[in-house]
Amino acid sequence: MSTLREPHNRLWKGIPYAVLFVSTCAALLLWLPSCSPSLSIHRTAPLVENDSLPPEYSIVCIIHGDNDYLYHDTIGREYIADAEVLAEVKKVAQQNPRAEVFIFRQIPRRHFLFFFPLHDGEFSYYRNGLLVAHELYWRDQDHPRFGHEVELYSRFHADNQRERVSMFLYFGHEIPEMEVAGYDASYPDRMFSVHDLADGLKGFTRDSGRFNLFVLATCYGGTPYTVGALGPFARTMIASPGNLHLSYFDLRLLEHLDHRLQDKDVPAFAARFARQAFHRLISGIQTEVSIAVYDVDRVQEFLHSVHKDYDHTLTLWKGETGSSMAANEHCDCADLPAYVMPTMHNGVEIFYRPARFGRSTNKQNHSGWECWMDKGRRDEPLQAPESGIK
Amino acid sequence: MKARIAFGLIITLFVLALPTNAGGKEQLQKYFSNTAAKVKATVNPTEKRAILNESFQTMSGALDKVEGSGLISKDDRAGINRFKSALLEKQDELAGRNGYLRISDEQLNAFSDYVVQDMEQADLIISISLITLLLIAIVLILLIK
Repeated sequence: MSTLREPHNRLWKGIPYAVLFVSTCAALLLWLPSCSPSLSIHRTAPLVENDSLPPEYSIVCIIHGDNDYLYHDTIGREYIADAEVLAEVKKVAQQNPRAEVFIFRQIPRRHFLFFFPLHDGEFSYYRNGLLVAHELYWRDQDHPRFGHEVELYSRFHADNQRERVSMFLYFGHEIPEMEVAGYDASYPDRMFSVHDLADGLKGFTRDSGRFNLFVLATCYGGTPYTVGALGPFARTMIASPGNLHLSYFDLRLLEHLDHRLQDKDVPAFAARFARQAFHRLISGIQTEVSIAVYDVDRVQEFLHSVHKDYDHTLTLWKGETGSSMAANEHCDCADLPAYVMPTMHNGVEIFYRPARFGRSTNKQNHSGWECWMDKGRRDEPLQAPESGIK
Repeated sequence: MKARIAFGLIITLFVLALPTNAGGKEQLQKYFSNTAAKVKATVNPTEKRAILNESFQTMSGALDKVEGSGLISKDDRAGINRFKSALLEKQDELAGRNGYLRISDEQLNAFSDYVVQDMEQADLIISISLITLLLIAIVLILLIK
């Protein structure tokens, strides 16, 4: 009896080995090509090299998704902000028959069977409304942080002589002004700062000069330091001086640029974009909403006047880590005497609505510039709330 | 036998990985979102206030327990204290204490949204380590049940 059952038992015993063998083979198949240094591109449509249809608009979009981007709407539905933005940007790409759109999504590092690393970046390239290439790639672990993104950009960037409108969009959490770890959940020790993004922008603008428009969809992007560091790569910049809720900016205005930006007046378009984004945010957000449009050349005088003070504040905080750094608070630069000067409002258009609750509901204006509250002020006992005071 | 153990180990690792990936921060966000949903589902303003108050107190209780456990770092303790202060301010605003005007009955739904949005975008939670957040989420679940 036992001799009859033995082959059957062997068969059962062999199943786990077979499963492990197949899994290992699958992992190797997935992993080995990903180790290749060359970035192989999966083309989904032939590249349109028709000179009669050169892109008139060029949009580069980086979506940081390697952290917690969960948010809820007012009826409790859950959203993952980077996935929502990706869908919106894809729609923008498809709805622009005369544009090239580069989409880089930085995704969390994952492993197949716990040991085999999978790609942590996803790239899509659209030209004239069609998806031309889609590829998973590795993010650069060293400096420059955006080396692989710049490489892909250089490879696909349409090299036509005709002048075009260029835009750069960045979506993510607040970009630290000083190098700190923890921006990427997958790489907790990896340092990141606004200078890393500036280095990336240097690569993107190497051949084509400054971007006409730079949209920084993060919290606290509208600081003298951040605008000063990223401004040299753009003519017009849109950023939020305060917290920007994860529903980010309304991107619908970027669709059909051939109609909406027919006159190529980017500053006027930027103001319309900011206004529309502002109205969408205030319709559902109870916290503060602030969006500013910066004419980068016109704000230079103010930036030069305040950079020493701002740098000094940052220098004081160098070396602070963890909770002590997180305890530093932002404030409107207009609340700090050192920053109040006649040039403060030059080149800045601000759309602002205070939070509906909390300490600042009576604050009716914002300068468009966010600063750090100095330690002396921060350590003062909290004043009675500005709003709702009895 | 060894193959079976290896196979079982892989399955176990898969199962164990799930709650870790879910993360404590997500649980805390969900907690405030559920509170807002309950507030909106209630018609009576007194009940709305009670739901919000209880929600703040339960969260503060969970934070107290984790803080008192002795398992967390100095940095996390500071982060928890900031989180507690923010909760206290919201309790004060709800009740009209410490200089705040009492939130009117008509504003309670909007206030519950404000709490959710403020917690989602604030760096209060971000400054607390993932392990401590997970600990807070576990204590919170135990307190609710």
